[in-house]
Order: sequence, then structure tokens, then C-alpha cells
Amino acid sequence: MSQDPQIRRLIRRETHSSRAVASLLTASVLLAVFLWLTLESVLWLLKDQPVLASPAMMLRWLQDLPANTIPAGMTAAGIGVAALGLLFLGLAVGRGRRHRRALDSERAAIVVDDDVIAAAVSGRVRLAAGLAPGQATTTVGGRSVRVQVRPTSGQPLAVENVREVVDGELATYGLHRRVTSGVQVLKEGAVGQ
Amino acid sequence: MRNTNRALNRVLLTLVGILLLGTGAALIAAGTLPWFADLWTTTASSVREQARSLAGTAPLPDPVRSWWLVLGVAVPLVGAALSVAWLASQGGGKNPRLAEQSEGTAGRTVIDAGLISTAIREALSGNTDVLSTSVSAWESRRGTALQVRVEARRGASPKDLADTVDQLLRTTDAWLGHPLPALVRITSGTRTQLAGSRRAR
Repeated sequence: MSQDPQIRRLIRRETHSSRAVASLLTASVLLAVFLWLTLESVLWLLKDQPVLASPAMMLRWLQDLPANTIPAGMTAAGIGVAALGLLFLGLAVGRGRRHRRALDSERAAIVVDDDVIAAAVSGRVRLAAGLAPGQATTTVGGRSVRVQVRPTSGQPLAVENVREVVDGELATYGLHRRVTSGVQVLKEGAVGQ
Repeated sequence: MRNTNRALNRVLLTLVGILLLGTGAALIAAGTLPWFADLWTTTASSVREQARSLAGTAPLPDPVRSWWLVLGVAVPLVGAALSVAWLASQGGGKNPRLAEQSEGTAGRTVIDAGLISTAIREALSGNTDVLSTSVSAWESRRGTALQVRVEARRGASPKDLADTVDQLLRTTDAWLGHPLPALVRITSGTRTQLAGSRRAR
């Protein structure tokens, strides 16, 4: 783990979502609503025709809402709005971790996509076991690295050997988040090359 | 690397979430509890009544009629302005200048990000594991920070790439005289999908 707070900050910002997309969407919707409300109130002041509804009409609609809507519709709308609210709260307090992770380095903050790590581990396993492309697939997610190997038929493959290769490769990366590796050797082999 | 104010984003999203949750709860209550529906109607009518009586006070000449109505226009306008401010706070911070030094009468020295960018791209152009490189400079809390984005070939070792870029950064440190904070992104992208693996099949 890097000790430099600035490097740590760079890594943290790069591996976590900034919530910029959600913020942009929300701010745009809020902007449109506020501009519309401004326009309606100005039109109402000038005693002009409203675009959709004047402020007075809106208040009256709000007052008559329970009387004009069936209770079930009211409840359903409430559940929908509350679900949207929960979604926003989830975005606000969720960790928002992205599919990337930091590598050890003394000089810089190094952040690698999970895909790149998965492809590299697959390649390393293939090279070590003498397999063709596609016989080793790796999934990197959260705190786990799962490798699935389909051996060439007639050439048995020991799980321990593969695990050793995978762990050795991961150890050289010096990932900041500790990961556990899982290796699965499939029973069915691939027809020989 | 963008200078988005993340804390602000989360605080404002929390506020919007709480507001929506409150509205939803009120709607559900009005749909299921008759007394709450009655409360809703009486509250709304009293608000309307108050608005009407307020519109009669603090008079102004036609067509505005009252200061309260001016406030009714100003509040959504302020809301719109705050929304624009929130929009504007996203992103930003890219800086075409890496470093700048002025020494009185000796003049001013400016180092463009393009110089380092070209040097790093040139150095990585021969690397078969690198499909594309981009280098940019960003403002950070402590001066300018460098971002090096490297698109890796499928199956390339991230450790090797990281070491290569590390070495390059140390070289640029020696050129510039002082180390810049740097972020190295090793990514996979469309080129990674198209270019295939380096090893013979």
C-alpha cells in the first residue's frame, strides 16, 4: 500500500465512481422543472395563457388529488416514487466501486482494469500448461479471481499446479485489494490440437 | 482525474432521495389511510388560502401586484441557477500546462503537457503490448498531476506494463527535475478486443 496520501487519493478516485452521470441527469431534470415553474409563474403574473398549468391550477390539482384518484392508484404512485427515492439514496451512500484495481508501485498510482488482469492470468495459465487459446478463462470480480481450465483430452491437469501458477502470477502484481483465487479444472477435455 | 466534487454529488443525491422518499411515503399514506387523505386536502387548501391572502399584502403596482408574487418567480429561478451550478461542478480540471516557472527578469518557463505526452507515446510506440497511449495533465490538490492511459493488448501482463511506465516516469522526473504525481491507467478497450493476443496460436 502506498503511503503517499496524494497517490492514495488518486487511486481512490480512480477506482470509485464519481456519481457524475447520476448527478448530470438529476441536475438536468431539476433545471428543466425549475425553468418551467419560473415560466409558468411569469405567465400567470402577466395573466397570459399557461403552457401546461398555472401555479394556481397546480395547487388546486394537488388539493383535489386524494379525492380525484383511486386510493390504489395513489399507493402505486407512492411506491414508485419511494422506489426512485431509494435508488437515489443507494447511489448516494453506495460505495460505487468500479471494475478496476490498484497495483503496487513506488512511483505512481497504477490502476488496472479487471479485464486486463483476467486476460493476463488466462494467458499465464495457458502458457504454463501448454493449452490453446480459449481453454483457460478467468473471471476477476470483487475479491475473487476464478480460473476455469479445460484440459486437452488425454493430458490430465492437476488443480494444484494451476493454482500455483495463478497465485504466483497474482503475487507479482501486488494488488492492493487482497484476492482469493479459485481454480476449476473441467472434467471434459478439449479435443487435442 | 476530473475535479468533480464527489462529496457534493453524494450530498445532493441524498437530498433528492430523501425528498422523493418523503413524497412517496406521503402518497402511500394518502392512498391507504383515509385520515391522511383528509389531512392532505385540508393542508393543501390552507396553503392555498394563505397564498391568496399573502398575494394581497406587500402590494406593488400592476402587473406584478405583490412582492410575494415576485418571490414566487424568484424561488424557482434560484432553483434553476443552483441546478446550473451543480451541472457546472461536474468534471473539469484538465490542464494543457504541466509546469510553469517565472523568475523575475529571467523570464518565464512553461512546459506543455504535449512535450511529456509525445515523449511517453514515442517511448511506448515500439512496445507490442501497448495498443495506444494517451497522456494528459490535470489539476490536483498539490500542483499538476500526470495521467498516462495505456491500452493493453489482450493477455499482456499488467505488471510488465506498469514497470515499463514506472521507468518512463522516473526518466521524465529526471528531465523535469522534480517528480509529478502520476496516475497510470492500464485499460482494455475496443482495440483490445480487435487486436487479439500477441502469442502465436
